[in-house]
Amino acid sequence: MTTLALYSNKGGVGKTAAAVNLSYLAAQMGAKTLICDLDPQSSATYYFRVKPKLKSGAKGFIKGGKSVYKSIKGTDYENLDLLPADFSLRNLEVTFNKLKRSKKRLRKILTPFKAEYDFIFLDCPVTISILAENILNAVDYALVPLIPTTLSVRTYGQLLSFCNKNNHDAGKIYTFFSMVDRHKKMHRETIATVTKAYSGVLQSFIPYLAQIEKMGIYRAPVAEFSPESVASRSYQNLWDKVQHTILYADKDKRALK
Amino acid sequence: MQNNLTFKLPDNHNEKQFIGKLADQYALKKEPAVTERFTICDTFDWRLFNKSLVLYASGNRLCLRKLAEDEILHTAEITSLPVFIWDFPDSELKRQLAPIIKMRALLRLVEVQSRSVPYRILNPDEKTVAWLAYEEFRPWRRKNRSALVTHLWLKPVKGYPKYLRTLAKQFQEAGLKIRKKEEVFFKTLEVVSKKPGDYSAKVNIQLDPNWRSDKATKIILRFLLQVIRINEAHIDKDLDTEFLHDFRVAIRRTRSALGQIKYVFPAKTTDRFKKDFAFVGKLSNELRDLDVYLLNEDKYKAMLPPILRNDIDPLFDHLRKKRSRALQKVIRGLKAKKYDKILKDWEAFLNEPQRDSVTASNAKLPVIDLARKRIYKKYRNVVKVGSQLLENTEDDMLHVLRIHCKKLRYLMEFFSSLFPQKKINKLINQLKKLQDYLGDFNDLCVQREYLLNIIEELPTAHHQSKKTFAAIGSLIGALDNQKQTVKDAFAQTFSDFASPVNHGLFRELFASTA
Repeated sequence: MTTLALYSNKGGVGKTAAAVNLSYLAAQMGAKTLICDLDPQSSATYYFRVKPKLKSGAKGFIKGGKSVYKSIKGTDYENLDLLPADFSLRNLEVTFNKLKRSKKRLRKILTPFKAEYDFIFLDCPVTISILAENILNAVDYALVPLIPTTLSVRTYGQLLSFCNKNNHDAGKIYTFFSMVDRHKKMHRETIATVTKAYSGVLQSFIPYLAQIEKMGIYRAPVAEFSPESVASRSYQNLWDKVQHTILYADKDKRALK
Repeated sequence: MQNNLTFKLPDNHNEKQFIGKLADQYALKKEPAVTERFTICDTFDWRLFNKSLVLYASGNRLCLRKLAEDEILHTAEITSLPVFIWDFPDSELKRQLAPIIKMRALLRLVEVQSRSVPYRILNPDEKTVAWLAYEEFRPWRRKNRSALVTHLWLKPVKGYPKYLRTLAKQFQEAGLKIRKKEEVFFKTLEVVSKKPGDYSAKVNIQLDPNWRSDKATKIILRFLLQVIRINEAHIDKDLDTEFLHDFRVAIRRTRSALGQIKYVFPAKTTDRFKKDFAFVGKLSNELRDLDVYLLNEDKYKAMLPPILRNDIDPLFDHLRKKRSRALQKVIRGLKAKKYDKILKDWEAFLNEPQRDSVTASNAKLPVIDLARKRIYKKYRNVVKVGSQLLENTEDDMLHVLRIHCKKLRYLMEFFSSLFPQKKINKLINQLKKLQDYLGDFNDLCVQREYLLNIIEELPTAHHQSKKTFAAIGSLIGALDNQKQTVKDAFAQTFSDFASPVNHGLFRELFASTA
């Protein structure tokens, strides 16, 4: 079982689109997959046509166990389940703060589901505080979409130093390029610089495409309504990279040990 | 999570009308029809069916489900349909089936084609909240290809239980009934004239305690003859080793019945057939021995030190060659006139009308009396020999005890229907434990002897042969050690069997009150 977060400390970078499409592709391979929508804006939930509602709201979510289990919905796709978002999740940070072992709460909530699913994807809200620490403690890997612009790269740097400061293993953080416009010289140059400067950069580019934005109209993963499109292929490529560069490589490493 | 619900369709069911009505209330989306072909498998003696399991292969998937249930328990990916458990890919499915199928071959019983037309049921957000599908099953590649089973199923989507409940209620109000019994399995097998559970090597005979002993004995022997005939017809196909095994056990039981149920037939008849069946039994001794060695190949290898494990291969190659020759010999033996005449004469004798002029002293005795007498006598033999062995555990006497136990076991099984089932089964199980022990000991002795002899036969030209001899030597050593360990356990095993409780039960059931 592998837990992956689509996470960023910057908004509007394509987290949700990636989480929805990657979880769909994982499920299509036959892997039992769960996508958890932790973002109170509930976009992932909307894409799957599910009502953003948790049994007993954020309270039930924090309590974990049965009430979380009962909130899970089957999506329209085989092997793919969704834990919907709920508007009350907007208070998650505050609530975690008040609890004991406040940084490992999310990990505890997810533990019972690890036996049932091969993959758990987290679609995370923008955060760089206690919720971020909960996420980093709960997952095996965090995938950070990066728009190849100066500001984005700066925020990515901030994330890495946040990890160092708070003793999180920066080795579980991987990044890929999102909303890429190859016509822009700056995008091309930034990609080259970032690839050189950081480790954990997946050579995968999700272009800036209207097709991806249409997910809101079709309310479905791209590969479902437009399987032959460039958008669909680039998510497939990203999923392949995630599997080969992260998952399989890590398995080999573990086997060697 | 809710389960799928399967509904039986009433005769006057109209699919179009039904779907039309449903579409007034729910948004429905028809999906492309799905056809699937699958092969139902089981062993010749219905080992899966007897455990209420259905195993079927569909495409590159092997699935296991419970009879009368849709939920799949285990699946495994396959490239071709496995015949033996050791052909299965390593999987939970294999672990589950191994202790059930053991060494038996899986037979393809019937090929079925299913066609289902699924509909999504959508909520106002056009989210799928349940599935329904019309599904029909037909035999594949048969002349009469009309649908054998047609039904409608309703499948829940996780997190939307209310829709399923409401729909199920509506369906039932429309006259559809929830299917509770298995249909596909039985109906498709009926097409190929197969009756699940129709064969078992176990003795299953209902006797009346007041019947004459000669009549009851003939019933037992006719049952055994049936088992002989059924298995004999399959030996030449060499599907697995158990056709021969069941055949041989039935022969042995026949011989035992002739020897142990005494004075029910004229002495001349009994003597003749005892000799005849001894001959029939011997026909396949060599083949069965070889089967046992080859079935245990992995076990033997595990006994060897790892460095010699592959060097034993020439031995097993040699045994395999020997086996195919032995099989041909058995096939010839079964086709020979002598065998044919023995079995035909035997059949004629068993079907002879009952004669009133009694030529044997026990013929008219009520079978219950004879059964008690014979079982109790044999039991006392077992106890006597066993007690001697407690003082001095000799190999030869262990062999004698094994034979006594076998005879006792067969008698108890022949007549089990005459006694309280719980009690006699308990005693049979206790006896079985002792027999397993004696069987293990005997196997170790015989195998050790056999390996010593086989060295003479092995081709020596092979450049690896020296190592092979070393491996065989090591194996003989391992068997010797095991033999001693087993022998040391005799006192405990026998005391368990001859416990005061068991003794009391034997007395209660079989000590003649008359």
